[in-house]
Amino acid sequence: MDTFVEWLRATPLSQAIVYRIWIWPLCETLHFIGLALVIGVAGFFDLRLMGFFKQVPIDDARELMPLAVGGFLVNLTTGIIFVIGHPEQYAHNPAWWWKFGFLCVAGLNALIFQFTVGRQTVGLRAGTDTSMAVKSIGVVSLISWFAVLYFGRMLPFLGSAF
Amino acid sequence: MMAWLEATALATWTRQSPSIWAYPTILTLHTVGLGIVVGANAVIDFRLLGFAPRISLPSLSPLFRMILWAFLLNAATGVVLFMSDATAKSRQPVFYVKLTLIALALWNTNLVRRGIQRDGPIGAPLNSPRYRRLAAVSLVLWAAAITAGRLMAYL
Repeated sequence: MDTFVEWLRATPLSQAIVYRIWIWPLCETLHFIGLALVIGVAGFFDLRLMGFFKQVPIDDARELMPLAVGGFLVNLTTGIIFVIGHPEQYAHNPAWWWKFGFLCVAGLNALIFQFTVGRQTVGLRAGTDTSMAVKSIGVVSLISWFAVLYFGRMLPFLGSAF
Repeated sequence: MMAWLEATALATWTRQSPSIWAYPTILTLHTVGLGIVVGANAVIDFRLLGFAPRISLPSLSPLFRMILWAFLLNAATGVVLFMSDATAKSRQPVFYVKLTLIALALWNTNLVRRGIQRDGPIGAPLNSPRYRRLAAVSLVLWAAAITAGRLMAYL
């Protein structure tokens, strides 16, 4: 791991990210805007899965999801830039690994939804409640995205990132 | 005044306590609130801009209550964060830029809320350029407020 960190740190790309002082603040700002899109849009969809906003048909709520995916891709890109720029502050940072873990939970949960119970929600009319299985998917998703946010914000405090 | 704020027990605790429940948790709650305020606004704004056109806007009104609660959370945590570093923060021009942007964004959000309340049952007026303009302004103002907030750590 440390060999990899040192190699990454020495790459021209890593140096370029660190020595252009505007890159880090710019990426952080984009990371926060992306965060809001993921929490807001995916969170809204999760709440619908949980049985809130019943007047909104799930298929219609789903039409907003590309915005959450867009926000996530912004954050994936800027997140990779942070890791390339300063790999040493994440490699041994417990908060980073917790964040990564919850990202995996959120991703797996979304895949499970897509390939199993998700089908139940297609064509579900306004006013109809969701099954317990669908509600659980919504709860797990909402909790994992807030956990991702929590451990991201805790990077400087549980570990020593800035 | 700023020195007095900084010397209060709450400010001192926030700044100096090694506890995870002091500065780190207050800052995290501020970020959670940001996510809910801006994210819920984004859902309404993108809907007004034509995304997911079959969602009826009045059915989204509970989002405004969530925005209000999350905003109150951020006002409270924001006051504490400011107090903990009042002298330095009060001298940062970008801090006043951030406050102005938030005030404008909130005013704009309230115009959208009242508009949906008034025109929601009729429906059609919500597809007008006026609401698309309000939605676009909302997205720009909230993104700018985030930018100003982030830049407080750098300028």
